[in-house]
Amino acid sequence: MALLPVNALTLALAAPFAAALLIALTGRWLGRVSGLFLVAAALASFGAILSVVGANSPVLAVHEWVPSLGVAFRLRADAFGGFFALLISGIGVLVALYSLGYDTPELSRARVGRYYAELATFMGAMLGIALADDLILLFVFWEITSISSYLLIGFWYERDAARAGALTALLVTAMGGLAMLAGFVLIGQATGSFALSEIVADDARRAALVASPAFLPALALVLVGAFTKSAQFPFHFWLPGAMVAPTPISTYLHSATMVKAGVFLLARLAPLFAASLVWPLVVVPIGLATFFLGAWQSFRESDLKALLAYSTVSTLGLLTAVYGLRAPEQDVLQILSHATYKGSLFMIAGIVEHATGTRDLRELGGLRRTLPVSFALCVLGVMSMGGLPPLFGFVAKEALYASLLASPVLASEPLLHGFVIALVVVANGFLLASGLKLLIGTFLGEARGTHASHASHGTHEAHGEPVLLWLPAAVLALGALGLGLLSAGDTSERLVTGLSSAANAQLEVSLLPVHAGPLALSLFGLALGAAIYRARTRVEALQQRLDRWPDAQATWDALVAGLTRFAEAYSEWWQNGSLRWYFTITILFTMGIGFFALEAGGISIAHAAVSFESLDWTAAALAALILLATLAVIRSDTRLGSALALSASGFLVALLYAVYRSPDILLTQILIETVSTVVILLVLYFMPPFRKDGLSPALRAWNAAVSAGFGLVMFVFVLLCTSPAFRETRNLGQDYLARSLGEAGGRNAVNVIIVDFRAMDTIGEITVLVVVGLCVFGLLRARRGES
Amino acid sequence: MHESPILRTVARIAVPLTLLLSLLIFEQGHDHPGGGFIAGVIAAAAGAMYLLAFGLARAARIPWWRVSIVGLLCALMSGAVPYFTGSTFMDHRILEWELPLLGHGHLPSATFFDLGVYLIVLGTLMTLFVELGLEERRWNS
Repeated sequence: MALLPVNALTLALAAPFAAALLIALTGRWLGRVSGLFLVAAALASFGAILSVVGANSPVLAVHEWVPSLGVAFRLRADAFGGFFALLISGIGVLVALYSLGYDTPELSRARVGRYYAELATFMGAMLGIALADDLILLFVFWEITSISSYLLIGFWYERDAARAGALTALLVTAMGGLAMLAGFVLIGQATGSFALSEIVADDARRAALVASPAFLPALALVLVGAFTKSAQFPFHFWLPGAMVAPTPISTYLHSATMVKAGVFLLARLAPLFAASLVWPLVVVPIGLATFFLGAWQSFRESDLKALLAYSTVSTLGLLTAVYGLRAPEQDVLQILSHATYKGSLFMIAGIVEHATGTRDLRELGGLRRTLPVSFALCVLGVMSMGGLPPLFGFVAKEALYASLLASPVLASEPLLHGFVIALVVVANGFLLASGLKLLIGTFLGEARGTHASHASHGTHEAHGEPVLLWLPAAVLALGALGLGLLSAGDTSERLVTGLSSAANAQLEVSLLPVHAGPLALSLFGLALGAAIYRARTRVEALQQRLDRWPDAQATWDALVAGLTRFAEAYSEWWQNGSLRWYFTITILFTMGIGFFALEAGGISIAHAAVSFESLDWTAAALAALILLATLAVIRSDTRLGSALALSASGFLVALLYAVYRSPDILLTQILIETVSTVVILLVLYFMPPFRKDGLSPALRAWNAAVSAGFGLVMFVFVLLCTSPAFRETRNLGQDYLARSLGEAGGRNAVNVIIVDFRAMDTIGEITVLVVVGLCVFGLLRARRGES
Repeated sequence: MHESPILRTVARIAVPLTLLLSLLIFEQGHDHPGGGFIAGVIAAAAGAMYLLAFGLARAARIPWWRVSIVGLLCALMSGAVPYFTGSTFMDHRILEWELPLLGHGHLPSATFFDLGVYLIVLGTLMTLFVELGLEERRWNS
């Protein structure tokens, strides 16, 4: 069984991770230059995927990962997965270049290197999501994106807001990820497979899922995963909060890639769930609510990035609703349209902040002269966002209206149908209005506020427009224009239908309006947008009055605070710091496990047979001595006396091993006794004086009962293990002895068991040992106040 | 800590001998009583003797916790190598070779795992010794 085959897919996936490793190793010296590795890796991934995505048969790379659970490392580049991967790596190239242009001389090289390493890890994990064909594998990559995005959002970790925003994003998305895992497990159990393409292709498996009682729970859990990642209401609040990230990160994670992962998941799982009646009932309202709330909130914001963040939330809601309406053929069109304009607008927001030191619209204005290129690109971006011809956004919106008007899901409910269309038009109007607000507020009019005073006093060093900053934005903005123009022919149509997640997608994509209905809606939406913008003071006043309802962030904060309080109270009760308590719990638990093992194994005390024939008087004498030493442990008045008596009993046990000719355990026992005596003596040195009178009679009785109970359990176990009847039926020892030399090349079966037969157990144990050592080291050093 | 000349003189001889013993015990572990765990404990005992004889400061020069980390990596690598060469995790095998002068030799790959155990036991115990020894006395009893 070989590891993964080397092909375009595995290379595409490995490239970013390899780059991450390389950058992690060299970044602290190379600093900004290490970003070039990321550019190279992203280009390599892009090229590799491009070479296979057009192929007719989906490429599979399979490695049995956990065969016993049916979990495999399966990669596949079907049309939609391939499209998503191309989007990730393609925009990845642009974002890496943009980051290189984002000159931050105040940062250390090590920190810049870490940034690129995290970004590369993130890119690799996103590609993993796009290409994974196994649900568990998908989950693993999903969680890697959560963690790496946490690190990226919290890049400015010295700022409180950055840490809070990163933590919220992590908690929300990781919580959703766990729910999703539970949903995946349910799907896997119901269908008998984790392989996505197998489940989708196999009617019997899908029918089994639909018939399963786990269908609704699985649907709900998976949707929680998708909705948290894609910032759907009521989980939308983490996305604007995550705008504390550096702008290249916001561009990459929060417009083009990570937030689309939830939408991607919907596309992947729609074939399993979309036929159900529940699917549109849940997905459409949430999607539309997010679409409208995002657009509404977007217009309210005066921070460039917050405005864009909410408009992203809005578009994600639209995409969700599209899947809910069982119109997956729309997906590539809408995703591509959004990624092009939103990516460029985020980059422009970054250029503006880079040049002026602020992103607040109340302080910006009149930048068309100082930032002419950005201005031109921003016009294109806003035109696409608002849906003006000949930009791609216009084409996408026409197609959306057409499919909404003809939606079979809504056709039976005329009233609802009208409401949905009205909602979409109004939300689009708000999106156009916030686009205008951004464009006009930033670039037109006169320079205002502190920025103006900065400029006039020359305190803020005016940055220009470095080519590395505007070039990536230009690629995206011109992409929106180019795709729009290509829609005049049938190039765009073939592109978006060929890559869609829907099988045999039929979609009319045309720059020239062919139907009156969509065009009328479009025109109405544009007029509405312009009207909202003209009446902005009144609209904003209305928004101020309505306040930030519903305030999901506050609810979430209260929830987290409550959980923290509960955890604290619980820890103080359970982890109370008393060693006696810990010992009692540990011993009681061990006793319970012991009884359970006996019970489960069907072994009763009747199996024990005591024979005094082989009784050795040396051993009996030793046992008596051990008993005496043990009594001395209890009776002693000082800690030192107890410790020494304990050592004595340990050495006596070692002698017992000598009597029974067990050199291996003998050696171990002697050494352990020696070393533990040293440790005990070292620790005793720091113990407060010993007081016996501190224990109440009840506590003494309880301690005695626990000790006696434990002794009894151990006694029964030893008795059973040495009984002939037991030894004959369950003799693992003989088995290991027989296999030791032949299979593991060692005559010492004890050691062979430790390092070979049961090596996994040993791994666990030695890891615990290392952790204990590190904890002692860390705790004692911290207490002494050393680093 | 009190340092006696007698202890020092004994330790000068006993510490290297104990370390040698620990290597011996480690080496024979696969076929005879011994192995990484016991050998590690013996080495730590030598370390304890050194610490008592020559003082904490000298024993603390080595970052012992790193030794245990190296050991963990060693154990994990020995498990990972079979995985990446097309077998399952921790699937140890017996390496055999022929050399011109030394002749035939064989070494179970589990020995590397055992070496990891050795280093972890040694590193962790020495961390305990050194860190507890460096603690200041808090109570007078």
